[in-house]
Amino acid sequence: MTTKRGLKYDFSLIAILLIPIGVAINFVGAQIVLLLKLPVYLDTIGTALTAMIGGPWIGMVTGLCTNLVKGILNPVSFAFIPVQMGVGLVVGLLAMSGMFTKAWKVIIAAVLVSLTSTIIASPIQVLMFGGATGNSSDALVATFLASGQQIWTAVFSTKIINECIDKVFCLLIAFFIVKKMSPRYLSKLNYGSIFIKSKKQ
Amino acid sequence: MSMITIKNLSYQYPIVETDVLHDINISIEKGEFYAVIGSNGAGKTTFCNVIRGFIPHFYKGDLRGEILIEGKDIRDWELGDLSQKIGYVFQNPFTQISGVKETVFEEIAFGLENLGLEVEIIKEKVENVLKMLEIEYLQEKNPFELSGGQKQRVALASIIVMEPDILVIDEPTSQLDPQGTEEVFKIIELMKNKGKTIILVEHKMELIAEYADRIILMQDGKVVKQGLTKDILSDEDTLQYGSALPQYALFGIEMRNQNMDLGSIPLTEKQSISVVQQWMKKEGLA
Amino acid sequence: MDQIKKSILHLYPTTKFLVTLFLCISVFIVPGYLYAYSVLFICMFFSYLAGSFKEFSDLAIKALLLIVVFIFILQSFFYPGTHVIWSWSIFSIKQEGIDFALNLTSKIVAIGSSFILFFRITKVKDLISSLEALGLPPKVTYIFLSTLQIIPEMKKLTIVIMDAQKTRGVETEGKLFTRIKAFLPTLSPLILGSIAGTEERVLTLESRAFSAKVKKTSLYTVEKTKYDPIVRIILLILLITLIIWRVML
Ligand SMILES: Nc1ncnc2c1ncn2[C@@H]1O[C@H](COP(=O)(O)OP(=O)(O)OP(=O)(O)O)[C@@H](O)[C@H]1O
Ligand SMILES: [Mg+2]
Repeated sequence: MTTKRGLKYDFSLIAILLIPIGVAINFVGAQIVLLLKLPVYLDTIGTALTAMIGGPWIGMVTGLCTNLVKGILNPVSFAFIPVQMGVGLVVGLLAMSGMFTKAWKVIIAAVLVSLTSTIIASPIQVLMFGGATGNSSDALVATFLASGQQIWTAVFSTKIINECIDKVFCLLIAFFIVKKMSPRYLSKLNYGSIFIKSKKQ
Repeated sequence: MSMITIKNLSYQYPIVETDVLHDINISIEKGEFYAVIGSNGAGKTTFCNVIRGFIPHFYKGDLRGEILIEGKDIRDWELGDLSQKIGYVFQNPFTQISGVKETVFEEIAFGLENLGLEVEIIKEKVENVLKMLEIEYLQEKNPFELSGGQKQRVALASIIVMEPDILVIDEPTSQLDPQGTEEVFKIIELMKNKGKTIILVEHKMELIAEYADRIILMQDGKVVKQGLTKDILSDEDTLQYGSALPQYALFGIEMRNQNMDLGSIPLTEKQSISVVQQWMKKEGLA
Repeated sequence: MDQIKKSILHLYPTTKFLVTLFLCISVFIVPGYLYAYSVLFICMFFSYLAGSFKEFSDLAIKALLLIVVFIFILQSFFYPGTHVIWSWSIFSIKQEGIDFALNLTSKIVAIGSSFILFFRITKVKDLISSLEALGLPPKVTYIFLSTLQIIPEMKKLTIVIMDAQKTRGVETEGKLFTRIKAFLPTLSPLILGSIAGTEERVLTLESRAFSAKVKKTSLYTVEKTKYDPIVRIILLILLITLIIWRVML
């Protein structure tokens, strides 16, 4: 049995219901980080999770909605919509090629995803916000600048370091949670079969 | 023509290796009240899902045999069209809220909005249903913040308001106290009196005995018995299939086994009183 | 006063959005940073009229202050330039950097505050309802409305779960590693629970005719007020005036 995939088929009701949950997971992830005072963001677990089991389109829409909702309180988030969407897209594509079936593959995937988000985020940060983000990582940018680097390389270096740490955690967490999902549920999603197969092995 | 005709129906869930429903043959007649009974895991919910078309449309899997709703095969129906034909209130009240409405009133109106009714008509219908189920006091509450029993009633109201011809109701009283349960049965009877066809999954035998016309008894995915309520529930044999009997019937059967012939096996409290009175007269005890 | 507040709050969502859009566009038409910064005060004034001055200011400070400060630090020290106005050891503040930062931050502040204002005076529910009237598909509306309901629910649940964990002896304080270990057990039941519910939620939506192929109606609607056309016309006139003034300049 082949499942049809793509823009026309991916937005089934069950996949659509995944989106609000994905957005909420992003928020809750960030909330728990705050409560536990952890030194990471972990605010893309939901985007990664929905992209893994719902496909790249669902992942992208989850990312889009996340920053739209964040933007209600902080409009700066609107500018970073493409970053969240990029994460959704790339995680979805990597999942389709089986990159989330083993822990070591997830770590490689995390590097690729970090690279993507850095490539998308850096121009936004440099051109629209003069290299700043308004959070603590700006200190690192300043340090790179003080050591004589150009603004582009300073932002890029800061971002890639932060992103790699964050995405390794995010994707590993998403990976472990998908592993716990029942085959019965996964079988209802267009992209779930990849994870059922990997379970049987 | 029967409302629903089921012939040689078997079904297998995806990923599962064995059939959950085996060779079911049944016809459901318009305006009758059917109670589906059987032990846990007998396949009652699965049976309901087939009738509502969620199998195969949503659950996929392997469906064999024939199931016709008003003469048209279930596979040819669109899920969207079935929603006006068959109302389905399912087992778990906690997931039966739309998730986008802020008040019970809006929640109950959701189905009618989706059917594109005019706002004035929607309001009128919702008010009527609130009155009928006596839940007007809930109308301004947030559906998320209701108790299990209240959620169950709101779920029932949300379906009844859409006025489908057939009502499939899966254990609607699991979260209700005896009084609430009785009230739900009264509402179901009201629906029956409006000419609706009712398919109800329930465990509470006393109430089934009182309200249902016919019984479908399931065990291990098969329909092991079907027929009139009075025949099935007065038959000791029914106990063999993992189902209970009303306590009044058990009493009657016990009396008969003790060679005290009540004339017939009573199913309800009222019947028990009358047969016992007759028997006492006959025996010269009263 | 109350009258003004009501008229602002009751304006149609898309009208309010046009105001925001106008403010955003205007900062690119009017040169210099003074006007752009003054948009902040315009927004403050409106928020005062609409009775949400405090929330507006709180959010504006939270969202914009730090980023503005950092832009100033980064740009004034590291922007390439020759007009040094202050220096200490290897660090020096240059006029070019300050100018660049003023220009950039003024626009960020203007755009940021006009959006913050918009969401202070517009209920998201109203916004979605007006977009629905413009033809937004029901599935999209559903996603937004459901998201707005789920987030607070899940946040509440998180607190409940964390408290339960604490009583069960899972440590949520102390060393970094202990705290990291508490993360997954808190998050995963939350996620698995809500995801398991989606299967039956689909059945609920189907049962309520969500996928019936008729045009849906809506009990909740927002109405245009008599001020809506007036506001829109004023915006249009202002925009045209600005453009003409800019071209003539
Ligand atoms: N979606 C599903 N996928 C696979 N198997 C399922 C699914 N739903 C139910 N089953 C299995 O099918 C069998 C029949 O279940 P069903 O829910 O229809 O029984 P039931 O009579 O309604 O039981 P209960 O009284 O507990 O509600 C059970 O063994 C159950 O585990
Ligand atoms: Mg059941």
